[in-house]
Amino acid sequence: MIFDPGNDGTPRFTGIHPLLAELMRAAALDPWERCPSGSSRLMPPPGDDEELRHDWEDHVQPELRRHFGKERSVVASDLEALKQEPSSKGNSATWSLEIPRAHSEAWLTTLNALRLALAEEHGFTEKELSRNDAPDFSSERGLALMQVNFYAFIQECLLLAPGERGGEGV
Amino acid sequence: MTMATPDLLESPETELLEGVARSWNVVVHNDPVNLMSYVTMVFRKVFGWNRERAEQHMMEVHHKGRSIVWSGEREKAELYVQQLHGFLLLATLEKTS
Repeated sequence: MIFDPGNDGTPRFTGIHPLLAELMRAAALDPWERCPSGSSRLMPPPGDDEELRHDWEDHVQPELRRHFGKERSVVASDLEALKQEPSSKGNSATWSLEIPRAHSEAWLTTLNALRLALAEEHGFTEKELSRNDAPDFSSERGLALMQVNFYAFIQECLLLAPGERGGEGV
Repeated sequence: MTMATPDLLESPETELLEGVARSWNVVVHNDPVNLMSYVTMVFRKVFGWNRERAEQHMMEVHHKGRSIVWSGEREKAELYVQQLHGFLLLATLEKTS
């Protein structure tokens, strides 16, 4: 898979392996449905104050949920443009995707929501998340860790693209 | 990357009106999942900071587990926490002692 930050500000991914293309498509899944037990992380309490917590649940959290839904629909719409590339002899067909620069924030937020929900659901530690071992495809946990790391890779790519310079430097 | 210095970070962004006491802190807490580069980007977008300042606070969150990113009146502090939650950062509102 190759990432091109795009001189015109349009990040492009090419040579996407079919498995990774499937993981990309899964980015638009609703984290509340995909990881119900991990979704609590997506709406953290605003503090210890009981009254504020109730206000937050009544007024802010529904608004946040709508916001995440809107961002996810932008990603889902972009994913419809996933394009199969001509396959070279003997190789599986790969895919390509362009992400409009104006949609970067929607992608960053949507990928983050799913990463957080998956990590919460599987209880990944900081150590596990920063390990560079080969992915373990034999367990659901191993697949989820690969998914979290793959989405982190896409996030890093988007943060390197022109116009998102705030993300450089780690 | 420039490391955070306590001197700089003890003075969070404030918007104090004449005669109005500082009363609420917006605190961002460490999270093992959020990327450092992502947190830096969010600080720049929400607070309009330059990269250096955003990275200082991000590093403070990373090393110390939390950083006070803004102090001031409650209404605006709530708005900042809401914005930070919109980017999925762990942010809370705390009354200053």
